[in-house]
Amino acid sequence: MSQTVTVSPLTRIEGHLAVHTETEPVQSGGTERHRVKSARCEGEMYRGFEQILRGRDPMDAQQITQRICGVCPVSHGIASVRAQEMAYGIRPNRNGRLLQNLILAANYLHSHILHFYHLAGLDFVDVTAVLKYSGADRALKAVKSWVQDALNRKDLFAAAPLLPRYEGEYLTDVDTNIAVIAHYAEALELRKICDEMGAIFGARLPHSTALIPGGVTQVPTAERVLSYVGRLQRVQSFINEVYIPDVVTVAQAFPSYFDIGRAGGNFLCYGVFETNDGGEKFIPPGVVIDGKWEALDPEQIAEDVACSRYAGGAPRHPKQGETKPEPQRSGAYSWLKAPRYKNNPMEVGPLARVVAGYFKPGESWIKREVDAFLQPLNLPVEKLFSVLGRHAARALEARWVARAAQKWLDEIEIDAPATAPFELPKTGSGHGLTEAPRGALGHWLSIDDYRISSYQCVVPTTWNCSPRDSRGRPGPVEAALEGLEIKDTTQPIEIGRVVRSFDPCIACAVH
Amino acid sequence: MIPCSRREFLRAGTLLAAGLGLSRGVASAFAQGLQRLFEGQKRVLWLQGLSCTGCSISFLNCNEPAPLDILTRMISLVFHPNVSATQGAQAIETIQKLVAEGGYYLVFEGAVAPGMPEACMLGGRPLNDLLVDVLRRADAVVAAGSCAAFGGIPAGEGNATGAVGLAEFMRSKNIPTEKRLLNCPGCPVHPDSLVGTLAYLAGKGYPSVNPELLTPDMMYKHSVHDDCPRFHYWQKNAFAEQFGDEGCLFKLGCLGSLSHTNCPQRQWNGGVNWCIRAGAPCIACTSPDFVRRRAFPFYRKGEAYHAVAYQEKDRKGDKS
Repeated sequence: MSQTVTVSPLTRIEGHLAVHTETEPVQSGGTERHRVKSARCEGEMYRGFEQILRGRDPMDAQQITQRICGVCPVSHGIASVRAQEMAYGIRPNRNGRLLQNLILAANYLHSHILHFYHLAGLDFVDVTAVLKYSGADRALKAVKSWVQDALNRKDLFAAAPLLPRYEGEYLTDVDTNIAVIAHYAEALELRKICDEMGAIFGARLPHSTALIPGGVTQVPTAERVLSYVGRLQRVQSFINEVYIPDVVTVAQAFPSYFDIGRAGGNFLCYGVFETNDGGEKFIPPGVVIDGKWEALDPEQIAEDVACSRYAGGAPRHPKQGETKPEPQRSGAYSWLKAPRYKNNPMEVGPLARVVAGYFKPGESWIKREVDAFLQPLNLPVEKLFSVLGRHAARALEARWVARAAQKWLDEIEIDAPATAPFELPKTGSGHGLTEAPRGALGHWLSIDDYRISSYQCVVPTTWNCSPRDSRGRPGPVEAALEGLEIKDTTQPIEIGRVVRSFDPCIACAVH
Repeated sequence: MIPCSRREFLRAGTLLAAGLGLSRGVASAFAQGLQRLFEGQKRVLWLQGLSCTGCSISFLNCNEPAPLDILTRMISLVFHPNVSATQGAQAIETIQKLVAEGGYYLVFEGAVAPGMPEACMLGGRPLNDLLVDVLRRADAVVAAGSCAAFGGIPAGEGNATGAVGLAEFMRSKNIPTEKRLLNCPGCPVHPDSLVGTLAYLAGKGYPSVNPELLTPDMMYKHSVHDDCPRFHYWQKNAFAEQFGDEGCLFKLGCLGSLSHTNCPQRQWNGGVNWCIRAGAPCIACTSPDFVRRRAFPFYRKGEAYHAVAYQEKDRKGDKS
């Protein structure tokens, strides 16, 4: 029997998301499964940043837009200062660029570690395995007795927030489970250290107050650099010795997820981390449509609102974009707009960055790194277009960003300012294109009479979780759910695994 | 077997109080409160309205107690949208079960949108509907961050959602706030202020607050300006002219006079830095007026170019 299967709210992501799927019964390996025919992603929270920004001093924007998202505030800050810098006709100075990179790098590492262990991890690891722990680790022993005690007391909410959960196929090996639970605990500390790294140059996190057009207010001292280095080394060894091996462990236990969750196959990347004053980027920009690489052309972006809760007609480029909420608009099912590139839905995020780098013509260090990772696993690159591919791309990227951060630290000129002088123009416009941990992020700014006359943000999860467009084409997450087989429709653990692999952020996506 | 000893709670309470620059008396209240939270005598429910999750991330940045203890042993956190394993209808059932039981603390992050209920949905219905019951049956409510406390950015001029903070929402629904609601503003909230407030509530009950703002005095009494390490520059009229300069940051836009919070004492992210130390003007993120008015920008660089809606004394926080 056809059935609607809903996960609302879909937790362990940022923000308010509901996922509805229409399923049909299929026979698979002798048992009945429910295959997803179509899916709908509903973004369920709206604040209206673009309206709130209008009429304000443009320099407020890098502070206000960071509050679009408390998980990746730095990316919004960077997109905003880039848009302003273009409008003001300046570039960050060398120290400013390096410190901005280092604050952003810290935010990437925090976000990637948080995502794998604390958001997505509980879809794979069996937390109840901790009851079988017999070792001497203090943290694990404490967690074990906490769970045991709550169960003995028949506590109504035993082991919350780690229980209850959907029952399903989790990792079965006890030692593996216990190791990953220990890493869940360790990762809580590690991601905190990443935020400390960001604060060393960014004043604090979340929501760095030190980011300004042209650089950062913090002057880099030797003490600050050393303080960052020590933490970075600890995070780096966690990435290489724990995070990446854990992703491989999960991949080996759930190999079918290399074939699950493919999303249309189009990828968009704006590039991120400027490595010189000419604007060259460590992760290069690029677009891959139907397996073919092409150079990025920002003019090809348009936002469609056919199924979104906004008034409007034909798709618009963000420069001409508008945001007029219409909560009860008929046919609309999400607060997200539907951005398209040359009319195509595009996947963004670590996988898109990896794919854009991999298929870029000419010499590509990303291709070398990815091949070196895939070879021992005996996997072709196409297998990355999947749930596990997204986790792998994120983990590899964490390794690269940590390595690059080491280099940026070496390039800092100690005790020299990290700012560039600028004047505020009466009129102007600019855009800032960068990559948030979750994918391609753009801010488009217009200034009239020293005030913001228009501000539009097209955000990673706006791409990934977008609703259908006027041509009826589903967004990437909606497409990735099509064909998914669900074992138990009352506990559709499979839906969360697919959706979370994109690391959605709904506060970002709607803003 | 008791998995958490009295000594552990004392240690955590003492370190938490020390981080906030508070007395031994408060430390023992914290310790007692953490123990009650741990024993499930007080459960905690965390919900998000018009929010960015920044306050949740900040909460996970706490040092004392450590994040793992906070999530597992030390606070009986029944549901948290970003952390809980549960999802879908099961998550809603978990929340409803707790609401039926009653007597919990609600931590709420984000603003509420009475003017546009569709602007925030949870489990297929407007959050506002669910929230009324959740607020009524809570023993106490902690507004985490400036959005929950005062409306914050979602309530900024020009917004379409009619966003407000919890106090205003509760009053409009005739839900009592007296001795029940505590505001912990900040964008984001500082983890020590939030955890300290929860621990004190559980240990000693409702703390002394600012009667108008409902902010706990122990964290929110003094302004950043009062305790600013650059105060001597202010006294000598030595002002920073450019970002990165030494000197008082007032002329760049610093709003330290308007922000009542303990940043100068406990700083941020384990004490590695904070705004003023980094040369970044305070943007008064704990103020009820944070981001409210279009013509009251954070920075002063542009003020010569357009009419502004404030006078020098407004930025200094002079009431006269």
